[in-house]
Amino acid sequence: MLQRRGWLGGPKPPKNPHSLEHLKYLHHVLTKNQTVTESNKSLIVEALRSMAEILIWGDQNDSSVFEFYLEKNMFLFFLNILEQNSGNYVCVQLLQTLNILFENLQHETSLYYLLSNNHINEVICHKFDFSDEEVMAYYISFLKTLSLRLNEHTIHFFYNEHTDDFALYTEAIKFFNHPESMVRIAVRTLTLNVYKGKNINDGAMLRFIRDKTAAPYFSNLVWFIAEHVREVDNCVHNNANHQHRDRLRDLVAEHLDHMHYLNDIVTLENELLNEVLIHHLLQRLFLPLYVRSLADGAPGDDTDCPFVSSVVALFLLSQVFLILHHKPLVHQLAEVIFNRNLDSLSLNGEGTPVEQADILQQPESLEKLLSSTKKGKKHKRRPNYRNIDDERSSPEVEAITSLDVLPKGAASGLVDKVLLFLSDKPDVQLNNSFIDSSPKSSTTPADRIKTRPFLDTIYSALNCTGNDYSALFALCFLYAILHNKGISTELKKIVELGLVGEDEGCESYCHWLIERLLRIVSKSVKPENKVRLATLRLTSILLKKVGVRDNQCVLLDEHLASVERCRAEGMQNLQKFLKEEEMFLDIFEDEYRLLQSKPLNVEYLMMDSSLLLPPTVTPLTGIEFSKRLPCGPTEQARQLIGIFFTLRDLSLFLCKESETQLPLTREQDCIQTNDKLDLNNSDLIACTVSSKESKQRRFLVVELYQLILVEPDSKRLGWGVVKFAGFLQDVEVSSDTDDSRTLHVIIHKPSGLRRVPILAANFIFDDHIRILRCMAAKQRLTKGRMRARHLKTGRIAVLLGLP
Amino acid sequence: MSYAYLFKYIIIGDTGVGKSCLLLQFTDKRFQPVHDLTIGVEFGARMITIDGRQIKLQIWDTAGQESFRSITRSYYRGAAGALLVYDITRRDTFNHLTTWLEDARQHSSSNMVIMLIGNKSDLEARREVKKEEGEAFAREHGLIFMETSAKTAANVEEAFINTAKEIYEKIQEGVFDINNEQFLSSYAVLIHPCNSLK
Repeated sequence: MLQRRGWLGGPKPPKNPHSLEHLKYLHHVLTKNQTVTESNKSLIVEALRSMAEILIWGDQNDSSVFEFYLEKNMFLFFLNILEQNSGNYVCVQLLQTLNILFENLQHETSLYYLLSNNHINEVICHKFDFSDEEVMAYYISFLKTLSLRLNEHTIHFFYNEHTDDFALYTEAIKFFNHPESMVRIAVRTLTLNVYKGKNINDGAMLRFIRDKTAAPYFSNLVWFIAEHVREVDNCVHNNANHQHRDRLRDLVAEHLDHMHYLNDIVTLENELLNEVLIHHLLQRLFLPLYVRSLADGAPGDDTDCPFVSSVVALFLLSQVFLILHHKPLVHQLAEVIFNRNLDSLSLNGEGTPVEQADILQQPESLEKLLSSTKKGKKHKRRPNYRNIDDERSSPEVEAITSLDVLPKGAASGLVDKVLLFLSDKPDVQLNNSFIDSSPKSSTTPADRIKTRPFLDTIYSALNCTGNDYSALFALCFLYAILHNKGISTELKKIVELGLVGEDEGCESYCHWLIERLLRIVSKSVKPENKVRLATLRLTSILLKKVGVRDNQCVLLDEHLASVERCRAEGMQNLQKFLKEEEMFLDIFEDEYRLLQSKPLNVEYLMMDSSLLLPPTVTPLTGIEFSKRLPCGPTEQARQLIGIFFTLRDLSLFLCKESETQLPLTREQDCIQTNDKLDLNNSDLIACTVSSKESKQRRFLVVELYQLILVEPDSKRLGWGVVKFAGFLQDVEVSSDTDDSRTLHVIIHKPSGLRRVPILAANFIFDDHIRILRCMAAKQRLTKGRMRARHLKTGRIAVLLGLP
Repeated sequence: MSYAYLFKYIIIGDTGVGKSCLLLQFTDKRFQPVHDLTIGVEFGARMITIDGRQIKLQIWDTAGQESFRSITRSYYRGAAGALLVYDITRRDTFNHLTTWLEDARQHSSSNMVIMLIGNKSDLEARREVKKEEGEAFAREHGLIFMETSAKTAANVEEAFINTAKEIYEKIQEGVFDINNEQFLSSYAVLIHPCNSLK
């Protein structure tokens, strides 16, 4: 309405909003309304909005539009509006207009027009009201959109080589730890788009990033990850009753996000930058916190300790090695874990001592660090967190405001505690639970490991004393190392072959490791065992990996014999359940299907934060069966069945035999829909199959294992075409109380525990002896079901070695 | 402006299916869809009313960032709803739905509401994917389904609002429990009660 009337008697807006005239009109409106007031606010907002529309139309249809825009230097209107601090309503529109422009312009020249005169950087540096979530969201989207347009030509509009200014990047990273996840994601996207810039091939820009921003940004990033990791640790220790599982899940997911972000950066192979990042990661995060905690991990109640418990460290390191495969990083990290001791950690790459306390020392805020690189420059506009509304004091917001440097006293207090803690600690290196009872495994590796406290922690976790809580992580860790592409085969050999030393090559595999793995296996088949299925499966995967080389099993006979012994023991345990457990067949087949369709994926396994909580029995936690212990006899049967399959598979694999007995029914042996059958000698019962969807005439055939519905084959006499086939073992049949010629038939999907019907229908028999037919059919189905189940149970008995 | 809840959405699907246009069409009605102009945007917010309560929707387009695993991962986790979009005139965009859906299910909260959208329903003559196929896919995977056109604005409003209704129902049913602080922590980023009533 307002638009049509024009403004203060000025020209009316042209009828066609997509024309040069319309831009001229907007120019007029904005010229007349240089000052934003309450009364002209809406008009200005509408003018800014239409501007986006007309400029994009011009970009696609009429070059004179952009020429006019440039001639009148219309970007100045935007800046003028910003200068006035005209309120968030107008700012949001302005940012949206810019967003739309940079998202939609197709012609490079139009883009250059918009970017020229350094105006864009003024908008980037403008101090918006970031406490308004909407302004924040539009602003960060604006920066992200710009970063998507970076290329070798546009980079010069953003990065000024002479003044060493790259506002787009430096302003964005100040929000790297913003409480709002979408904002953090946008910042990460932007940084990745910039680092990808090696394609832009602007050496000066990359040098700027490395020399002026990399250290500040990465030191802050790494520090916050460390803080985060300590939070994970806290949450684990205050969570013995699983009451904060959602919180823990989020924290662990966030750690994974961090690791994936780091991986996304290093895989861009921007070597200049990676060097700095890897240095920070190793020297300020992975070595002093993760690795150090392996040996020094506090029991958890010591809140002053800068480290996390060794179990949490092991869990996090497994994630690191599962996700990051960048050679220069993972190799160094693995090298320290495998070959070094605590002394080596006090030295950094250059041989200067690194204070453990350093990891608690928060780096200067990005705000400060970035501005100090530009001494003598005036920075009147810069967004920062301090204008975030302080009243909203969620914990996240507090974390943000602490981007500002800690008060001096507070920081030094922490440092003192750390020093105290360190001096308290007895010589950890000798503190090892590493006494091998088995005489077979030579003591030499054990001796050597004494000087390898980190490896010691991992290997002693494999002892699986009490429960398998930390053993599972140790297994994951070894798995991750062996599958990591960035770790040299030499280091992997330490795992595979034992420690390489003077007697190198004497042993074809690491007896010591194999014996630990076998011990887990043998524990799993003991009554009252505390080994979860996931642990056993992973143990089996590792045994396969270490025990088989070049397609040859390299295990000693006695080790193979031990596998067989455990397998036999597992079978024996299972035998009694075959008779006692009513649902045995269903559970058996269901477990098998599950194992085939969802083989253990270690990466997914390690995404599950519930593993960090003490292993539990109760299904009420919602924890997947394989990640907890069985509850009640039925689940015990299920557990034993799972063990049976795992060990059977392991044994067959090591003996290079293939599975011939499982599954009990192979799909290729079954009758399928659309098969054509010769039914000349079969019993056929005619009936009408009536379900919700349809009503059809069919012939019912009861085979050995299957119920089949056919219709006559029009081409061959006596043959039928299969319209439906289901397993008799899954049939439920009942008579209709009112109608003696009708049977209710339900056939469940073969997935045992979840009862989903694949067919639910009434079978109606209506020939002259229909009642008899109906009874015959019922009997045949009931008997067929029993026979099918009996036959299969018999085959299981054979598998379990029962007579 | 005050609101009772804030829902965050993401839009996913192959490039060129019209995600950013849908987004702009929904969040800013002042942009009238016109024949010779295609405009889209990567972010937008809008207030809607469900059950007499003000709800703010924030919609984030994830275009151009698919190559970074860390980014897709976190996007999924931060959203209460997702619009999975394909182009009814391009069979390949429909064929890729399974991959998108796997990704979404892998990374998102199991409660995330996903709506399947067949976009460009105005281009009937060039249709390659039947409406029934979209419906069948949605049924099979438990999604809500709708065909839309960012060009004519057909069903755009409904697509976004129905998704919001579904989320709102989940809150009412207690699936998203916003009062239980322990549970809230995980969804605090998705839904938070308004604390800025003015």
